[in-house]
Amino acid sequence: MQSNKLGWILLAPTLVILFFFGVLPFLYVVFVSFHQWNPFAASPEMIFNGAENFRRIVFDEAFLNSLSVTVAFVVFAVLSELIIGYLLAQAFMKEFPGKSIFRTIHTLPLIMAPIIVGSVWKLMTTPSIGIIPHYLDEWFGITMNIGTSAPAAFMTIVIMDIWHWTPLVTLTLIAALVSLPRDPFEQAQIDGANKAQTFWHITLPMITPALVATVFIRLMDALRTVDEVWMLTGGGPGSSTRFLGVHIFKEVFPKTNYGYGSTISVIVLYLTIVACWLLYVSMLAPRKNRKG
Amino acid sequence: MADVKIENVIKRYANVQVMHGVDVDIKDGEFVVLVGPSGCGKSTLLRMLAGLEEITDGTISIGGRVVNDVIPKDRDIAMVFQSYALYPHKTVYENIGFPLKMAKHPESEIKEKVTNAAEILDLAHLLDRYPKQLSGGQRQRVAMGRAIVRDPQVFLFDEPLSNLDAKLRVTMRVEIKELHQRLGTTIVYVTHDQIEAMTMADKIVVMRDGRVEQIGTPLDLYDFPTNVFVAGFIGSPSMNFVHGKIGEADGKKHFESDNGLILPIPETTAEVGQGVTYGIRPEHIDIGETGIAMKVVVVEPTGSETQIVAKSNGDLIDALVKQRIAARPGSELYYVIDPANVHLFDRDTEQRI
Repeated sequence: MQSNKLGWILLAPTLVILFFFGVLPFLYVVFVSFHQWNPFAASPEMIFNGAENFRRIVFDEAFLNSLSVTVAFVVFAVLSELIIGYLLAQAFMKEFPGKSIFRTIHTLPLIMAPIIVGSVWKLMTTPSIGIIPHYLDEWFGITMNIGTSAPAAFMTIVIMDIWHWTPLVTLTLIAALVSLPRDPFEQAQIDGANKAQTFWHITLPMITPALVATVFIRLMDALRTVDEVWMLTGGGPGSSTRFLGVHIFKEVFPKTNYGYGSTISVIVLYLTIVACWLLYVSMLAPRKNRKG
Repeated sequence: MADVKIENVIKRYANVQVMHGVDVDIKDGEFVVLVGPSGCGKSTLLRMLAGLEEITDGTISIGGRVVNDVIPKDRDIAMVFQSYALYPHKTVYENIGFPLKMAKHPESEIKEKVTNAAEILDLAHLLDRYPKQLSGGQRQRVAMGRAIVRDPQVFLFDEPLSNLDAKLRVTMRVEIKELHQRLGTTIVYVTHDQIEAMTMADKIVVMRDGRVEQIGTPLDLYDFPTNVFVAGFIGSPSMNFVHGKIGEADGKKHFESDNGLILPIPETTAEVGQGVTYGIRPEHIDIGETGIAMKVVVVEPTGSETQIVAKSNGDLIDALVKQRIAARPGSELYYVIDPANVHLFDRDTEQRI
């Protein structure tokens, strides 16, 4: 009992902070999401309007557009990061000259603040002064203008996200690969498995837990991407890169539509949970059932 | 089934040579055990046989075919690892059937062979389980099942019993030997445990520091060890060694230790005054009414036999006898040694005389 009490005492500061800065604001957002509230309007008081905000969201074309753009972004970015990250991790498992230098450089994007990443990429992609449009034009004769071309803006954001976050995937997968026992792989060699068979039958199943954890982190992060996109395109051109995070930001701050903005936040949280749950069930749960 | 020839195999890592020209000739269907202390190169040799480790020089051939540059899966061998190396995410059935699946055998054939192997190894009721749900002995058998289904030319075992408890080890020892008698396949088996080697092998290869010290049947090694290392390694408890020289009294040669202990020796070519190491196994010493006077240091009764450690001057000599001895530490008794059981080695070269 003594140690139990001590445990709670040691946990108390964290719990208090978590309650005031995590749980309370969350409950408050849920509370606000059931109201119509524009504190800077002529009538700044909160008006309860039941599930009206939630009804509205289902038919809100701007929101649905945001949702589809975000899903496309998440699928492209996270899948690419997984594939490139895995290949890099496998490369880093081997010895080659300059490995440690390359690994350090490769990890650098990870320690940059998203807002900086956004502004650097903005600098690099601005027509007439950016290095990327310049060489695309000089070498391939391609005109790139993320201010006017929706596909160019979207692709640039996907590539920026890959550049920024692939190192995280590489690092977690290196950790997973390093901890794998060597014997099953040698056994597979003797059992006659070729490289592709070894990957599908041995490597992939054995790193699945680490892979799922990595996908969770990247999925949740990608679903709430704001700052980089805000910096680079501001959600444009038009609403082609208006991801959910950007959409909520625009709804809440410029439009000061607090009630509806909160509703979107709650829905996005819900969708994130559902996506993670689906992922978990499809990738990890089958193993658990096998136990029985 | 096939014979295996290892000829003048050398292994070098950068500048360090770890294998110095190893020659081993294994006949078709033979059960050969590679034995030696850790670091002697026995596992490396097995891994070179499997193709997991490259050889620097020499040749390895299986069934008359040189396999130096043949990748593991094309060598037609099966290997059982010390860790069993089971695939943790696959069931027992999938584990055993894996080599067949990789070779794209039809599902019906896989099922037949896996079921057959499972019956041989008494695993039929465990086919749906996962490795973590099995005991050590069961995992061991799954690993063997995976080797059996391939019907390979040679089985390789790398210390397969080291992770099991003592009792299970004895059971599995018998099972592996039975399996060999049943399948008749050539087996190369690595262990550091000389009892495993003695009980299972048709032929033992004793290794030390990347060299073969002696090759022979278990009893050959026991009766005629070629040097001090093999003599000390084979047999438990291990052989007594006393350093001294050949002496003579009344025209008859005897052994005289550095501490002045006189011991009987057989007919020998060793000359009077030559420095020798005297070897006698504890189980070849009897206790008698007269003989070599010794002072008891420790008596260890185990019920079936009694181990005695006794001293004369500075020389400690163990004896293992069937009868129960009630001697107390410090008391005196007499060792009786039959000269026919004595081994003499040159003191400098450590080779048998």
